[in-house]
Amino acid sequence: MKIVVLVKVVPDTYGDRKLNLETGLADREASEAVVDEIGERALELALSYADANEGTEVVLLTLAPEGATATIRKGLAMGAGSAIHVSDQGLRGADLGLTAGTLAAAIRRLEFDLVITGNISTDGSGGMIPAMLAELLDVPHATGLSSVEISDGVVSGSRPVESGVQQVSANLPAVISITEALPSGRFPNFKGIMAAKKKPLEVLTLSDLGIIADDPEAASSIMLTVTEKPPRAAGVKIIDEGDAGEKLADFLVENRLA
Amino acid sequence: MTPPTTQTMGSVPLRRGLPRTAGGEPWPPEGLAPTVVPASLAQAATEAVAEAPSAVTAEAAATAFAASEAPAVVSQAPTVRAAVVPPALAPAKVVAPNKPAKATAEGKLYRSRTVTQWTKFVALLAVGAVAAAGILVLAARGVTTLPGVPEFLQRYPGTYQLPDTTQSGFPWWAQWAHFLNIFLIVLIIRSGYQVRTEQKPPAFWTPKRGGKKISINLWLHQLLDVLWLVTGFIFVVLLFASGHWIRIVPTSWEAVPNALSALLQYMTLDWPVESGWVNYNSLQQIMYFLVVFIAAPLAAITGVRMSEFWPKNAKRLNKIYPVEIARAIHFPTMVFFVLFILVHVFLVFATGALRNLNHMFGGTDVVNWVGFWLFAAAMAITIAGWYAARPLLLAPIAKQFGQVSSR
Repeated sequence: MKIVVLVKVVPDTYGDRKLNLETGLADREASEAVVDEIGERALELALSYADANEGTEVVLLTLAPEGATATIRKGLAMGAGSAIHVSDQGLRGADLGLTAGTLAAAIRRLEFDLVITGNISTDGSGGMIPAMLAELLDVPHATGLSSVEISDGVVSGSRPVESGVQQVSANLPAVISITEALPSGRFPNFKGIMAAKKKPLEVLTLSDLGIIADDPEAASSIMLTVTEKPPRAAGVKIIDEGDAGEKLADFLVENRLA
Repeated sequence: MTPPTTQTMGSVPLRRGLPRTAGGEPWPPEGLAPTVVPASLAQAATEAVAEAPSAVTAEAAATAFAASEAPAVVSQAPTVRAAVVPPALAPAKVVAPNKPAKATAEGKLYRSRTVTQWTKFVALLAVGAVAAAGILVLAARGVTTLPGVPEFLQRYPGTYQLPDTTQSGFPWWAQWAHFLNIFLIVLIIRSGYQVRTEQKPPAFWTPKRGGKKISINLWLHQLLDVLWLVTGFIFVVLLFASGHWIRIVPTSWEAVPNALSALLQYMTLDWPVESGWVNYNSLQQIMYFLVVFIAAPLAAITGVRMSEFWPKNAKRLNKIYPVEIARAIHFPTMVFFVLFILVHVFLVFATGALRNLNHMFGGTDVVNWVGFWLFAAAMAITIAGWYAARPLLLAPIAKQFGQVSSR
């Protein structure tokens, strides 16, 4: 089985993250670049299946700026067999459509059985890529799985929804996205880090994939304004003097929260 | 699928947004939106009819590139970035993408000082320290000439007589305890400092039985603490069992004036008569007593108070001994250890290095290089431990006791 795991290199949420106020793009110099945690969980899912089933191939796929190679190696150190890094100046500020199209083109080059992605990234918070990929690849899609079972030809899992938990399954090949309920990524060991240096890491550009970033036929998003989040103002404190209920109600009405 | 379309250049200018690079032109580059017209419609309709839908679709495709524009844009972009910066958009500092301006070694700041500034600062400190030391020495020498002081020094030479039964020398277990102490205290201080200063732990450790996730550096700190306490416990048991305790526990009030006398003699740089093989001077004795029987237990009980080993729900106990007190004591205790180590090492080397090293590392009272080389080996092991104590190598050990995760 060949499992493609999508990971994203994001600014670490541990510190302050910044947007460039001129371009509206993430200021990658401002914080450390790490593999998004949800991507590590997706990789962990693939690796734990690979541990139990010999002959499983785990391929990391990422679309990231040029300097992200070191961060991707960490995924290889965790245990993935190979990695594909799509990097191109034309992808700077790529919107969801272009991103999904590029990723789909990269996946199509592989004979994949399963694509595992996180449900949402910590930087863009779009959460649309998995669904777009499934559509572009024309395969079934199971979103937001909190538990996953991979067997021959079928992937199944539970999917929490507002009213309960759905049990869903799909025939392979398929795309699934997972939630934070899945186990976190393993800590790479010394052997893994040494081995990672020899694992294949393919760097692809848009022309390798036959994608035109500025295809005039495709409408793409532009960003019009960006402003810094205003500092948090002090909240309103309501002290109960017998009329706290009324005050609370007034507050809610006043702020159109009722 | 979309029906076949033909594409022509429209007349609607592209809608443009923020630039993609700092200081760049708004993106996408200036141009006209392509007009997308379904092929069948375009063929059938007259010119006038065809214009109506084009206006509608142009809005949707407004941000798309005009095909003919694209190549020109690619070649244009760098020159635009470099030369023509619109004044309104000109940033304070233009940083070329992917090429962060490399600060020169001269201009690079290390903790808000450049290398030159640091050199000057350190030189100034050194000069200051030497001057202060000189003043101290002169002052101490002055004190020794005051009336009564020479008599005091004669009466209290710096050491008092131990019972005749006291054994001289350093048994093998004391030498081993001393070496393990060097190794452990260095790594304990380092890991403790890492715990204190780290903002994001490089890895985390969770106990097997479950419980709070802690930094891998804190795990190391605590593991070393346990080993240190075990070493210390064995040392103290053997110390008392063997009778050697009498050498580092003051047994007479004479220790106090003798310690003062020894301190004064040290300060005059006229080292007090000392025969560590047989009998420490009183200042040494008091300091070693403080380290072994006061500072070490203090570090341990304040450390345990802050650790996960401490019972969190013992309300009465926690009221009597709040964690804030432990926190306030633990760090100064470390500072005491560091100062002690600095002075200790300085005096070991300043008062007959080869002989002193032979005492503690070679176990003999002769002057040769054996003790020095054993000391050098101990240092090499400690330095190796320092470099080996990194998350990558610690993780496999930590995994034996629990779970290691990167978050």
